[in-house]
Amino acid sequence: MKKILIITTLLSVLLVGCGKDNYDEPTSVIRGKVTYNGKAIGVRGTAEVIQLQLYQDGYQLKDHIPVYVGQDGSFSAKVFDGQYKLVARSNNGPWVNASQDTVIINLKGNTEVNYEVTPYFTIDNVAIALNADKNISANFTINKVVQSATVRYYSLIVNKTAFVDDAINIWRKEYTDPNLSVSLSEDLSSLNQINTNGPLFARVGVRSNLSEQPIYSEVVKIK
Amino acid sequence: MKKLFNRKLILFTLVCGLFTSCNDLLDQEPDKILNNDQIFGDEIMIKSVLANYYGRVHWGQNTTSSYNYTILDEAGKSDGGPDNINSYGDALFRVYDYTLIRHINEFLVGLRTTEILSAEKKLSYEAEARFLRAWIYFNMARSMGGMPIVGDDVFSYSPGDDITALQIPRSTEVGIYDYIISEIDEINGYLSVEPTINASRINKWGALMLKARAAIYAGSLANYNNKMTTPIKTDNGEVGIPASEAQRFYEIALNAAEQVIASGKYSIAIKKSDDLSRNFYEAINFKENNAEVIWARDYIYPGQTVGFTRENIPPSHAEDIDRAYAGPILNLVEDFEYINNRDGSLKTKDANDNYVFYDNPLDIFNNKDARLAGSVILPGADFKGNPVVLQAGQKILQNGNWVNNISDLGKVDDDNNLITSANGPVTSNVQYVNKTGFFFRKFLDENAGASTRGKNSAMWFPRFRIAEAYLIASEAALELSNLTKALEHINKVRNRAGLNDLITMTLSDIVQERRVEFAFEDHRYWDLKRWRLAHTVWDGISQNPKAMQYALFPYKVVAPGNPNNGKWVFDKQLFVNSPNARFFQMKNYYNFIDQGWINNNPKIVRNPFQ
Repeated sequence: MKKILIITTLLSVLLVGCGKDNYDEPTSVIRGKVTYNGKAIGVRGTAEVIQLQLYQDGYQLKDHIPVYVGQDGSFSAKVFDGQYKLVARSNNGPWVNASQDTVIINLKGNTEVNYEVTPYFTIDNVAIALNADKNISANFTINKVVQSATVRYYSLIVNKTAFVDDAINIWRKEYTDPNLSVSLSEDLSSLNQINTNGPLFARVGVRSNLSEQPIYSEVVKIK
Repeated sequence: MKKLFNRKLILFTLVCGLFTSCNDLLDQEPDKILNNDQIFGDEIMIKSVLANYYGRVHWGQNTTSSYNYTILDEAGKSDGGPDNINSYGDALFRVYDYTLIRHINEFLVGLRTTEILSAEKKLSYEAEARFLRAWIYFNMARSMGGMPIVGDDVFSYSPGDDITALQIPRSTEVGIYDYIISEIDEINGYLSVEPTINASRINKWGALMLKARAAIYAGSLANYNNKMTTPIKTDNGEVGIPASEAQRFYEIALNAAEQVIASGKYSIAIKKSDDLSRNFYEAINFKENNAEVIWARDYIYPGQTVGFTRENIPPSHAEDIDRAYAGPILNLVEDFEYINNRDGSLKTKDANDNYVFYDNPLDIFNNKDARLAGSVILPGADFKGNPVVLQAGQKILQNGNWVNNISDLGKVDDDNNLITSANGPVTSNVQYVNKTGFFFRKFLDENAGASTRGKNSAMWFPRFRIAEAYLIASEAALELSNLTKALEHINKVRNRAGLNDLITMTLSDIVQERRVEFAFEDHRYWDLKRWRLAHTVWDGISQNPKAMQYALFPYKVVAPGNPNNGKWVFDKQLFVNSPNARFFQMKNYYNFIDQGWINNNPKIVRNPFQ
């Protein structure tokens, strides 16, 4: 018994380090939203599609830290203190490429920072509801922000989880008419999920002819 | 008195004894690692090193991955649930293999010093190795644009050396295509002029095909990239070829392709004039007496086999548990034109939206381009002498309307009539059943046992064949405004398919012809990229029928007393296993550069949109 104790004590010496090459994990958080006029814009939040990039100058090898934007336009990154540059990936989001500005962040502790962009369109006055006849109705206004842009399509999307976008959905319909004040009503009675107990979520999206990603409304729980 | 031999000393002496031995058991030459003298002193060893390189240059869409056929617009994934593909990956079909380039360069150094080969043989082996190196650069260029060209140098590094001398910046996109072309110019005279066994080794004509293909890619990139509203380019030309280069590249392509045609070693043969579909199938899939294929990835049993036949064989013909992984989609089938109508849309309904009834399921495909039945197993067509029944169900009359009667697989009704075929097609998520209405025929091996896990198939995968020489020549001539020559070459290919001569043509005829002639042969993706058409075809909009996948469901009419009883009708419908529109974004025209490569070589610049 005594022998084991001695051996254990001796072995545990091997596990002691001097802390020279051990960093503490980063603790400072950059948090924020992609905004237009201070209001967050909705994007596709799945498949790491919309990315911002965080650069830190002054090192020999520099790779950006990708910062993924969630579907409500929010993002966050946990990094070490220091000076960072935040910039959107080129031609990535549903906003004007030239409108992206490099935001310089002096990080010391947690920081809130918003990333301001100029989207081609915004979606306002969104009202989405499911009525008793299993019809979904959606009313919204598309506001043109950039005069040269045209609507390539707008779409109404439904999913059984709170993640709703052009690729992740159980039901989606696309419209190409030039209406900017939209009022839709669609029959969802053929959907299996409409008759079960689970919840349903919906949102609308608008894709301009000048960007590859649509801008989306907020996600609405309709059932 | 001290002991003369204390215990420690004895122990030490004994332990020392462990490290001596009476023979050189541990000093053997390794038999798994061969040095240069052993390799370059033996021609068979030289050949086997070369064989190793041939085995490492198979990239892109090919029969080693059935899945890769389902991500474009040629086939749909029928194995289990939906694929949820929407956009394309940043590294799709990306090739970056400087390891192999270094190995080839080491091989060249050894080869040039060997004394056992005649000067002539040395040059021919060297030409083969340099061809493979050019092929690697070509595969890198078409996925990423200009990349570092390292020449023949075998670099070495020891600590303290200046590492920046080893960091070579990316070449321009023009530069890498010019390098490929100049390499072929230097080596093609040393290669054999005869077709090689199973087209597995390169000869002069295959090398010229690479030259023609590289030049036509570069020419169309120079031409069509600059016709975009915002051409894709980088500041120093790593991506983006000036429009002024187009003419030069088109001339090189035309010249190289016509050299291959004029060689007389290969021909667009019509050996079976009574069955042009069979003729087409055999021209591409039969290795014996083949006059079509110039260079291929060959397979041979045992050891070198491929699972494509096993994965995709119709369930009714399967020899093992695997089957029906993927099936060609209606989009492709309709792109094959009719002999008397260039619009290949299938006539399932008449002008009043009533069904068109066919006596036999194959009748709807009558007068189609003969290549269709040679590339795709159509509903009711034979495979290995037995029909492949594709029946989604029965169409029955209810209150004057036609409705579907669908059952479990292979079930019959009370009158012993089949309801849903064991082959499908179905819309459910079940595995091993067809969901598109068609099976592959091209590259599906007819030999016994080819669809078993124990044996697999020895079907080759052609990389260059003579039809491509004609279509490259036609495209280059068209772009050089030589319409007569362009028509002459394209009509040669069309005649083998039983189609009428074109009397005038545009690029869209080339797009169409290459789409159907080279279905499943790793051309579609690269073609649409170089013509800058990919983002318009796969635009991510679900109302664009080209971006969506469609299936064709055949139904047998069961309506006793009705004049159409026993006939067949067809439903065109969205392919359920791929609900999203294909979306090729601008960033997909060039693969992304990996950050790890930049860390190793900071002179490598990123691609646009990255």
